[in-house]
Formats: sequence, C-alpha cells, structure tokens
Amino acid sequence: MDGLEEVSHRHDDSATLKEASRIAAGSPILELKGLQKNYGYVQALKPATVTFLAGEIHAIVGENGAGKSTLIKLLTGVITRTAGEILWCGHPVGLSTPNEAIARGINAVHQEVVLCPHLTVAANLFLGDEVNQFGLMRKKQMVTMAQAVLDDLGFGLPANALLSDLTIGQQQLVATARAAMRGTQFLIFDEPTAYLTRQESAQLFKLIRRLQNEGVTIVYISHRMEEVFELADRVSVLRDGTHVGTRLIGETNENELIALMINRSIEQIYHKEEIPIGETIVDVRGLSGPGFDDVTLSVKAGQIVGLYGLIGAGRSEFALGLYGREKTTAGEIHWMGKKVDIKNERTAMELGIALAPESRRDQGLCLNLPIGLNINLPVFKRLSSGPVINHTAETSNADKQIRDLSIKTPSRRVNASSMSGGNQQKIVIGKWLSHGARLFIFDEPTVGVDVGTKAEIYRLFAKLLKEGAGIILISSYLPEVYELADRLHVFRGGKLVASHDFHAASHEEVLGEAIGV
Amino acid sequence: MTATPTEIAPPPPRRKVNILFGLTLIGLLLFLWLMLAIFTISFWTPLNISNLLRQGSMTAILALGQTFVIITAGIDLSVGAIVGFAGVIIAWLLQAGVPVWAAILITLLFGVLIGTFHGFGIVKMGLPPFIITLATLTSLRGIGLLITNGSSINIVNEDFSNFARADFLGIPSLFWMVILVAVPSFVFLHLSRWGRYLFAVGSNAEAARLSGVNVNRMIFLAYILSATFAAFVGVLLASRIAIGNATQADGWELQAIASSVIGGTSLFGAVGSVHGPLIGAFILATINNGANLLNVNSFWQRIITGLLIIVIVYFDQLRRRRSV
Repeated sequence: MDGLEEVSHRHDDSATLKEASRIAAGSPILELKGLQKNYGYVQALKPATVTFLAGEIHAIVGENGAGKSTLIKLLTGVITRTAGEILWCGHPVGLSTPNEAIARGINAVHQEVVLCPHLTVAANLFLGDEVNQFGLMRKKQMVTMAQAVLDDLGFGLPANALLSDLTIGQQQLVATARAAMRGTQFLIFDEPTAYLTRQESAQLFKLIRRLQNEGVTIVYISHRMEEVFELADRVSVLRDGTHVGTRLIGETNENELIALMINRSIEQIYHKEEIPIGETIVDVRGLSGPGFDDVTLSVKAGQIVGLYGLIGAGRSEFALGLYGREKTTAGEIHWMGKKVDIKNERTAMELGIALAPESRRDQGLCLNLPIGLNINLPVFKRLSSGPVINHTAETSNADKQIRDLSIKTPSRRVNASSMSGGNQQKIVIGKWLSHGARLFIFDEPTVGVDVGTKAEIYRLFAKLLKEGAGIILISSYLPEVYELADRLHVFRGGKLVASHDFHAASHEEVLGEAIGV
Repeated sequence: MTATPTEIAPPPPRRKVNILFGLTLIGLLLFLWLMLAIFTISFWTPLNISNLLRQGSMTAILALGQTFVIITAGIDLSVGAIVGFAGVIIAWLLQAGVPVWAAILITLLFGVLIGTFHGFGIVKMGLPPFIITLATLTSLRGIGLLITNGSSINIVNEDFSNFARADFLGIPSLFWMVILVAVPSFVFLHLSRWGRYLFAVGSNAEAARLSGVNVNRMIFLAYILSATFAAFVGVLLASRIAIGNATQADGWELQAIASSVIGGTSLFGAVGSVHGPLIGAFILATINNGANLLNVNSFWQRIITGLLIIVIVYFDQLRRRRSV
C-alpha cells in the first residue's frame, strides 16, 4: 500500500485534485450535458447527457462505431467537443487538451498500450514526471520507488526490465499503475482485456477494484458482457452515436443491453438467402507464407467461406498471401481449375480477385483524395483510352457506385477522410464492384460500421453471390461469420485448425477452437 | 429507417476551391507586376520583362519536375546540382565536337540515369528520398568539378548559345520551353491515369498497391521526370551563359521546392498541380527582379523570400483546414 501512496502524494498539492477528492462517494464527479462531436459532416456523438458518480465503476457498452472512442477522446482532451457542457465537480470545464484532463485527474488506459517500449518499466512509470534533483534525474531513487509500487500492487515485475520484454498484459498493468501513481481521480479503461489472457484479466480486475476502494471513479469500456456484469455498478449504452440509456447493473440483463445496443434482433441483420452453389472458383492447397502455414481451402461460386480467429491468427496474412501482396513459400493455388502463380497484386486482380483489406485507414483508402478517385483507382485502366482517362466514364462510374451503395456524400469530389466509418467501408467495397471480380475477400468489413450499414453490406454479399461470385469473409466477430458463412474455417497461430459447415458447430465450440482450450 | 450518420452541410466542390487558389496566386502575381510597374520606371520595359521571363522559366521547369516528386510525398534535393552537372556535360560534348542535337539528347539521358538511380535507392535500397538525393547533390557537384578540373568549359557553338537569347513571336525562347514542358505535364498529371496513380501513391502507397497500382514504377517515374527536367534546365542554362560550370545553379533546388510549395503543393504528398508551381516560380522571379529594380539589398531578398513562403503556405494551410 505504501509504495503507491507515497508516490501519489507528490501530486496532492494540485488544487483541482484536492477538489476532486473532496467529492463524496456517490455524488456526481463528472457530468456531461448535451455533449456533442461532429467530424466533418458526420455526427460521431449526438448530444449525450451522462452523469458519472464518484467512486463508481461505470461501464459503457456499444457496438463498433457507436461513439465510445469519441466519448473517451472528449473526456481525455484529445479532441474538442462541438457543443455541450462538461461539469467536473460541479464546475464547467474546457477539457480541451490532454494536459488539462491529466491535471484534473482524468486518465485513460488504452487497449493498445501507449508507452515507450525501449524504456524500462520504471522510466515509463515516471515518464514526464521524473524525480529530479538539481535538474538531474534521480534514476536509482525512481527505480526503488517504482519497485515499491509494483510490489505493492503484487505484479511481480522488475522495475528495471525493458517494457518491450513484457507481455501485452503486463504492459497494460504498467499503464494502469502509471495512471494510479499520478493521483488519478477518474480512470477510463478502453477495452483493456482485448489482448489479455484470463489470468492477466483477473489481475487487472483486482487492481481496478482496489482503485475503486481508494475512491477512484472508473469508466470501463468493453464489449464483453460477462466483464460488465462482473465489474460494473452502472452501465450506459451507446448506439450509432446516441446515448440510449443508463441502467443499474442489478436492474438489467444481457438481453436488454444487447437489444439497446443493436435495436433489432440478430435474425433481422443476418439475412441469409438460399443461393445455389456453383463451380469451384479457387482451390488453395497447403499455402504457406509469412504468418500462415499450410492452409487448404476452396471457394465455390455462390458460397461465403468464413475465416474466424483471434487477432493475429493468420487470417489477414493468408488473404494477403492469396492476393499476391506477400510472397508465399509453399503450396498451390488453382484458379477455375488451372494452377496459377500469383506473383503480385496485379496478377491477382487480372485473375478476378478483389481484396477489401482489414484497415481502411492504412490499406483501403487514400484518405486525403476524393471519393471518386478512390472508387476508380483499381479500374482506371478500363476507364482510359490509351493513357488518357475518359472523363465521362470516370465520373459516371464513381457516381454509380456512390448511388448503388448509397454512400452519403454531397459529391464524389469530397475527400474520403470526411466520411464516417460506414461510408468509408462502402468506398472500399465500391472500389471493387466495377472491377468484375469472381472472388471477393472481405477482411473485417463491418468493423466500425453502424448497424444499418452492416445490413446493407450483408445484402450486397447476397447480390454478389447471386451474380456468381464467391466470398471469403474474414471476421473476428463470431456471430457475423457464424450466421453468414456456408463454410467456416477457424484459424489459430497461423494454421487452419478446424472447419465446419453452416451451423454444424456451436458458438462455444468454435470459440474454443479459436482460443485453443 | 436506421440511424445513419447525419449529413450537415454540403461542402464547396473541391475543384472550385482549387481554381480559386490558382486565381489568388495569379492575382498576387499581377498585383506584384502592377505595383512594380507603378513604382519603378524600368520594370515594364521589354528588356526587363523578357529578363524576368528567362529567369523564371528555368525555376518553373525545375519546380514542375519537383512537384511530381513531392506529390508522391518525396523530395528531390539534387535538381540544382543536376543543372550544374548537365551544363558541364553538354559543354564537354560540344567541345568534343558532338552535334548539338546529339549533345542535348545525351545530356537528357544523363538526367534519366540519375533519376533511375534515385528510384533504385528509394525503392530497392529503401533509402529515404531526402538522403539519396542529398548524396547525389554533393557527388554530382564533385564529379562536375573533376571533369572541369574546377574551372569552366566555354561553349563556342553559336547556334547553341544564341538559342537562350532568342525570341520567338516576341516571347523569349526559354518561356516557350516552359510551355513545351508544361503542356505534356498537364496531360500527364491531370488527364492521364498515371497522374491519378501519382496522387494515390503520395496519399497511401499501400492502398494504391492493393488497388493494383505499380507503386515502385510510379516512384521511379517521378524521380526520372524530376532529374530529366533538371538536366533540360541545365542545357538551357548552358545556352544562356555559354559556359559549363559545375558550381552553377547553387541553391536552385530550394527555389524549385519553394516555387512548388507556393504553388499549393503539399510536402505531405497527394496535393499539387501543374499550374501552381509555374505561377509560384514566376512570383519568386518577380520578387527577385523587383527587389533588384528597387535597389533592395540582395541579402534582404533572401529574407523576403523566406517570409513569403511562410505567409503563403500558412494561408494555404488555413484554407485546407477549413475545407476538410
């Protein structure tokens, strides 16, 4: 106990912190009144009114793109609100910079650890807040103090280890300890357990409860229902940027929360049509490459082949290998019955493979270029006579995809960056619709996409299948692949470990195969 | 109906904004001309105007090549050195009795080779553009000095050296060279699919690659164009001063980059045009010319140029931020 307290004492002279610690448990510490955020032409967070009580664990749930990350960024001063008011301990505050948020005692622990991997644990704990004497760092003293904190928390970590030598779970604990040391009054966890083992999660939960006992207000963001029910006192639900309700945890249940989150039943979203299965389009035999090993599968016309697994299980790597982006080291690819050598992306495209990659931002879009250019990028060759682009063909193809996919933009000349996640995903998909592909690889097509757009994307799958295409659907969201895939392959550690026909295995079985229990 | 993100207000169409920016740059250029015409006696004289066009033309061609590179989010620091080097090469070839047409062709070929080398360094060796072109900058000056043994090679071929001084239809031949380069450049950058690919590579190379763009080829192409344009400017400069000297065109790479940036090219890539750097080059040339006429200390000219770059790019940033 002493380690943490001794260190956090250093912060007690801050006036705002004192104020925050005077707030009685159970009374409002942070109030949001009509808080709103617009990105370009898109409302990421519609006016939300939420109250956080001192000393509570307040869970926030919602689908990807529901506005959770926008809310965190607003509270931690990373972005500035468009409208609305934030009351901290009853007083309106700006929270317009990260430093202001930290000075008031508001901190966040992110899903991906934002610390310096090349520094030691101690250096990370004291980063930006080093113990100095005569302008020089007291390295030894910091290591001793850091070790006291770590021992006190029962982490069993050496303070002079390099951060990069720790597991992600341990790094997450260091990040939490760092926030705790800084005299945090209000700590936000953004899906902290996404990459943690069960044991690491348990250790983290212990720490969270301890912080709560010390009077810290916790905001816990997650899509894992069991964690919410295990930890939280209250839970707020966001849907498509709207705050749709807050419940006491004892007065709600999982079904109610899901209904609030998606506003419709599962059957309404995953509308699976009977489509006749045709000839084999691609037959992959023992394909190996960077990050995937000995993968054998085939895709037929009219068929959705689902690839399920945890992040880093090798599914996206396999897709990049099949698409010619990464060099394969072994195995064969047979396209429409003929053995082919896919040397690069262009060979894949010429065969008739389309890839809507995992990351819109890094792989899918040229964000600071117009929507029209993005849509036409794979097909400029077809839109040109000689080297010169046919202007009419260019504009009409872009406008057609914008219309067909109902991409919500005033013009094809608007930059892709000002679109919402759902509309950006439609652009990524729209790029390939006029290419005339036979095999579509969709890698996480519905991440960060609102429910309405999800349903549209699934309807589009059905349309492509009816036209004789085959689809490889990669998803980390089990219900999606489970309900849509005619054949479901499970990846773990770069290998294809199990295959099932539609609904032939239960959710639990598939999940177990993916985790490896 | 599902709750899809709400639309707020339609943004102004992109193209109009670009034209507006082009217009304000031309406006600035005309304003400078008007002021100089009013406040100096010698500005609006045929001699001075053709002088201005001659000086601006060479920067304009360099800036155009540079713009292709900057659009890919790269930079070419070697262009000034290439100008000096190309001047030495053509003077050397002419001295050796090579016919003018062949000498020009060979010199341009050196430009192609240098650009290819840059592409190789960036694509195959993975060197940052800044580094590889900085290395060429210093080595080319060195090679040029070795060839000339530190002195100059005189050009005695009168046909060649008269060209830069000649006029055609009352306009300096050097300015015609800008048009000769700018028209195909416009077709390339704004009308052909290669131009679109160039922007895509500068915006997100991985997205471009996955969309079937041969990213490496586009990078080679951009650096080859830049180096070849620079070699062409070297030929023009050699014709103008009738010598080949490896230390000529010192600092022109910065003039070219400045012209391009003043003309609205973004150093972060994916933003740029053909007309922008051309106008930018003539704005810079006008400032230097005007400062000379107004008897402004040449040291001050450098300071003014620096301030101008800050002001123009700052306003451009403001405009961009508002339009996002």
